[in-house]
Amino acid sequence: MAKDMTLLWGSGSPPCWRVIIVLEEKNLQGYNSKLLSFEKMEHKSQQVLDINPRGQLPSFKDGDKIINESIGACLYLENQYKSQGTKLIPDSPAEQALMYQRMMEGNTLMQKIATVLYYHMLVPEGERHDSAVKRNRENLTTELQLWEKYLENVAAGSYLAGAFSLADVVVYPNFAYAFQYGLSAERYPKIAKYLNLLKDRPSIKTTWPQKWFQHEQRAEMLKGI
Amino acid sequence: MARNMTLLWGSGSPPCWRVMIALEEKKLQGYNSRLLSFDKEEHKSTEVFNINPRGQVPSFKHGDIIVNESYAACFYLESQFKSQGTKLIPDSKEEQALMYQRMFEGLAFYDKLTAVIFYEYFVPEGERLDSALKRHKDALTMELKLWEGYLFNMGSGSNLAGKSFTLADVVVFPTIGTLFRFGLSEKRYPKLGEYYALLRERPSIKASWPPHWLENTKGLDTLKDV
Repeated sequence: MAKDMTLLWGSGSPPCWRVIIVLEEKNLQGYNSKLLSFEKMEHKSQQVLDINPRGQLPSFKDGDKIINESIGACLYLENQYKSQGTKLIPDSPAEQALMYQRMMEGNTLMQKIATVLYYHMLVPEGERHDSAVKRNRENLTTELQLWEKYLENVAAGSYLAGAFSLADVVVYPNFAYAFQYGLSAERYPKIAKYLNLLKDRPSIKTTWPQKWFQHEQRAEMLKGI
Repeated sequence: MARNMTLLWGSGSPPCWRVMIALEEKKLQGYNSRLLSFDKEEHKSTEVFNINPRGQVPSFKHGDIIVNESYAACFYLESQFKSQGTKLIPDSKEEQALMYQRMFEGLAFYDKLTAVIFYEYFVPEGERLDSALKRHKDALTMELKLWEGYLFNMGSGSNLAGKSFTLADVVVFPTIGTLFRFGLSEKRYPKLGEYYALLRERPSIKASWPPHWLENTKGLDTLKDV
């Protein structure tokens, strides 16, 4: 039951948001929700380490079962609560295949976003190269152009794999995040349309991050992508 | 059925190996198996791009259905062929939760491995630094200690998520097989060594063992000090 579940999360983190969206979609509101601050390094606190030796958010418990990896938690919740809330994995083989495909590509997308946005955090000063920054940005551009094509025919009810699914749960937060960092709606009109179509979906609207980022100088980092 | 399936793959690629293990476990031998050469850049050929806009292997088709991401293909195969072969997603809530957790930690595990063994592939010559490679090796060491701990806690003879062989083993074993291929020390990582020794005898894993590893059994020593 929801009351046996605990989610430790941080605001504006796409992986955290994925789990929050699934909990809403599966009618599992009522879980213990602990908002922590990345700024204050609370993701490295003992309460997180007790659940997650990696000191990362989200950290999620269902009773004594721990699933911290966001896509893993989403799949677990859909499988355990198949009969309640929204059906998030389609039955038809073709849609199901597409859903799993886009869901896992969503992981690649997030990595390429992170490689650009977190470059200074991931790479020590003495190892940074302009050529690497340029290459990371080009890789992200190529990636986003692929998704722009995937979303060519996006419309209400016709999202990444047809009806709203785990693919959207995993990928939507990535795009919302990218737009917060200045991604251009003119350059990526289909992605912008996709975001707009789903922004009022209850599970997304009620859980929209209150706070996105702390470092103002990174605010426009994806503007030129 | 298997003959409507096509897998484009490269020898020694853990993501490809994952799908091959799943196909074996679900008794789907008989699929069209297209071994491509990385050396000849065949993974960037039209044949691949026709299935996979990313120009990557594995690339997998079942009739008109395309699923290229290795985890996605594994989930799809288990779901579509639930009633045949090995049950790869356990019913028990505890095992299932642990399976998903380890599967997705497996992504980080694989990334940390490739950051070291494919360093020169990912990083252009002008950007390579000893300090960076050392940093990647240290990250891999930390990751290995985590997995060694996980296996220690599971007890001897256990699979990653418990008694049963699951998708966690399907997706993570190839990473572990590769670690030992590249010289990981069984003395330093005895639990990983035990797991490796146990699973390398499993039929699905033997059947899909990278062909060039059979031709040249020696391997490398890149990871001997990790």
